[in-house]
Amino acid sequence: MIQQVDGIYPWPYGGRWTPRSSALIVIDMQRDFLANDGWFSLTGGDTAPLMLVVPPIARTLEAVRSAGLFVVFTIEAHRPDLADLPSNKFWRSKQLGRPIGEVGPLGQHLVRGTRGAEIISPLSPRSSEPVIAKPGKSAFVATDIDHILRTRGIRNLIFVGVTTDGAVQCTLRDANDRGYECLILSDATASDVPSHHADQLHTFSLAGGVYGSIASVENFLRVLRPEGAS
Amino acid sequence: MTLPPVEANPYPWPFDHNWSQSDTALLVIDMQIDFLKPNGFCDQMGLDVSLTSAAVEPTRTVLARMRGLGFTIIHTREGHRRDLADLNDNKRWRAARMGAEIGRPGPCGLVLTRGERGWDMVPELCPLDGETIVDKPGKGGFYATDLELLMQRKGIRNLVFAGVTSDCCVHTTMTNANDKGYECLLLADCSAALDRRNHAMIEAITAKRGGQFGAVAHSSALLAALG
Repeated sequence: MIQQVDGIYPWPYGGRWTPRSSALIVIDMQRDFLANDGWFSLTGGDTAPLMLVVPPIARTLEAVRSAGLFVVFTIEAHRPDLADLPSNKFWRSKQLGRPIGEVGPLGQHLVRGTRGAEIISPLSPRSSEPVIAKPGKSAFVATDIDHILRTRGIRNLIFVGVTTDGAVQCTLRDANDRGYECLILSDATASDVPSHHADQLHTFSLAGGVYGSIASVENFLRVLRPEGAS
Repeated sequence: MTLPPVEANPYPWPFDHNWSQSDTALLVIDMQIDFLKPNGFCDQMGLDVSLTSAAVEPTRTVLARMRGLGFTIIHTREGHRRDLADLNDNKRWRAARMGAEIGRPGPCGLVLTRGERGWDMVPELCPLDGETIVDKPGKGGFYATDLELLMQRKGIRNLVFAGVTSDCCVHTTMTNANDKGYECLLLADCSAALDRRNHAMIEAITAKRGGQFGAVAHSSALLAALG
């Protein structure tokens, strides 16, 4: 059993918790969003604030793996034939100048199986860690993530990744409605616009946290370390 | 026959300039006493319901106009079954911690419970007979409800959003709708949050990056397009 994490409320709500019933959810740390020649950068997004969270996510990954937590990665990526791409989403990407599915430096933009859809190398998934390709912002829309988590008996979710105001918040909202007990790591999530990150965390702290708790990486890692270890 | 596009941020809505009574619905989210009135759920938690109640009048105007033109009107309502079989333990714990435990007696009846006074719609926006009401146990209107089935049956592609709160149930439902391919418009003055900063954030991130979740307009722009 692990101690509660010191956050906007002590997490998880029920008291001590176990690694076996908990998963780290790593959101959209793919080249399309983080690489200089990726889709996000090519459409005018600033990747610098996103890159800042790579080291804290790497530290978190290492710690949760040794503590025995399940790890799930998500990517925003469509089928190569774009059968799962809504027409308004395609239209908006055209307005941004880089239509989803068009071939760019990393292959087709936001498409499964391309270099752009790969998780950046410092955070590479292990073979036992599922990568969920999602066609939208929320990992719970049109995917099997809920099935996978429930099959393993997961009840607690810890969120890291990008962007705080995009896929992270959308996925967390859906997880919370489904009864998962959620924790967002404030310094392992980021937005391309830093004020949007701060505003999102402010929203999530309303009424003591109605979507889950919020804590720093340090506070989270502290409870994962064995007693007496530094 | 299509209607003229609505002047909106960041693009004239809808994206394909194709909308009419037959494929567009007004979604009125959670305009309940619990979120809008003194002694309701939010008021009991110490939140400022004067902010949310400001959305009622503009919504009333839009609702009357869209009703008159024959649009599909769908109301959502957050509340739990009386046996609380649909209440997540952590949701119950969090509300109790803020002094408003769901399912317990409060000034407006059992807190956030179906059939109670606090759970009811505010009288100004009472659904008419024949309008659809979707009861939901969570923030998102699609979760554990038949909302999507109802919209598919009616051939709805475009959604206009009003209601409360903009950063909670409105945004969760709208981002889900957007992920599912619906073309969404948020009416900025017909929705509100319990904190001004939160509402401003939702407007900003909705219109961000070419409208990542859809578009945002003032209700006057929608009314203008309706003629």
